[in-house]
Amino acid sequence: MLANAVNSSNRGWLGRVNPLLKIGLSIVTVSIAFALQDLAAAGLLVGVLLVLLLSVGMSWRVWLGGAIALILFTALTWLLRDWPSAVLNTLRLLAILLPGPIFSLTTSPADLTRALQAVKLPSFLVLSLMLVWRFLPVVQQEAQRIIEANQLRGVDLSRRPGQWFSGLFVPLIFRIVSYADEVTIGLETRSYDPNARRTLGQPLRWRGLDTGVALSSIAVFWAVGYLQWSQ
Amino acid sequence: MAKSSKSWQLRDYVFAAFMTIGIAVASVITVPLTLSIPLPGIRTVVWAPFAGIFLTLGMARLQRSGSVALMIGVLALILSRISWIITAFLVIALLVTEGVMVFRGGFYGKANRLLANVLFFSSATVAGALVGAYAAGDVFAAWVGQPWILLLMTIVSGFAGAVGWWLGERVVKQLQRAGKLNVS
Repeated sequence: MLANAVNSSNRGWLGRVNPLLKIGLSIVTVSIAFALQDLAAAGLLVGVLLVLLLSVGMSWRVWLGGAIALILFTALTWLLRDWPSAVLNTLRLLAILLPGPIFSLTTSPADLTRALQAVKLPSFLVLSLMLVWRFLPVVQQEAQRIIEANQLRGVDLSRRPGQWFSGLFVPLIFRIVSYADEVTIGLETRSYDPNARRTLGQPLRWRGLDTGVALSSIAVFWAVGYLQWSQ
Repeated sequence: MAKSSKSWQLRDYVFAAFMTIGIAVASVITVPLTLSIPLPGIRTVVWAPFAGIFLTLGMARLQRSGSVALMIGVLALILSRISWIITAFLVIALLVTEGVMVFRGGFYGKANRLLANVLFFSSATVAGALVGAYAAGDVFAAWVGQPWILLLMTIVSGFAGAVGWWLGERVVKQLQRAGKLNVS
């Protein structure tokens, strides 16, 4: 609970926005971004997205990596075409890509799961999502242990991809299948039924902040649309 | 009793979820190797031999229509946290695969699983290239849209998927021998 609270506060004010609203806004943003052909409209949308990303507090390494990749992309497009096309394509690409990190950095897996439960996503899908989120780090740790065990035997897997199958993936699969069996037995002994009706400890609510974000987003989308399609 | 006539069990959902984890781990290991190569479908080509193992295992264990959708659908939902583009092309690829395999009665037998693997990874390459090219703009669309590049990478992806199937069937045999997998 405390960890959740700390995580929520780390995610800033966007972390308190309804996850369903964020999913909807992300989809609308990406759809509009695909249609952008006007420099001012693309600039406005990317400007707003960058301000939101700045408020999230991403690590400087990610910023640096992203900036290098973008500079390379812009330079390549400039070489192949011209400067305005390069800028427009870069802004368009940013507008398409940025909603993903903004959404993921401001939405915890638990919030996303609650949102999917709220939209009556089939319960087996919610179960699958929860299992993947819970066990992905565990399986990654297992993979790391297998890699280290190989290193102890003098096998450096990073230099020998030919041994990935027998040295890494086969033992990993045996561990994964064992985990699947253990989790199934654990759930069955607790009489877990994926189709049973369940309640939410913290149901999603529409708050004033959500209304504010929705209205602001409509205003931004209207302005972008006006710049794009008015001429 | 044929497996398709049985309803999905809790153990099926759990197994599919763990295969999704395997596919995700395969992408974590392989995709960073190719990030700097600007070739459409190259990430699918290196991902397919290892992701194909888990896809084949899942198909061998679950067998009925919807198995790929269950594994890849969850993966697409999770990867939406990185980029909606990845989600889009994974959903297109799973729809193509399930759409074809439903006419073959699911994923029974090695031939069906081979076909499903080849179809999934080939369609992921085509869909990924088209969605990615459209996102990156007309200059890249012109580069990616060259039929010979797209055709070549689609064939190579399909072949990589077939390698994944071959490795997957080997693991299925090993798991059966160890009494860890019941593929009737």
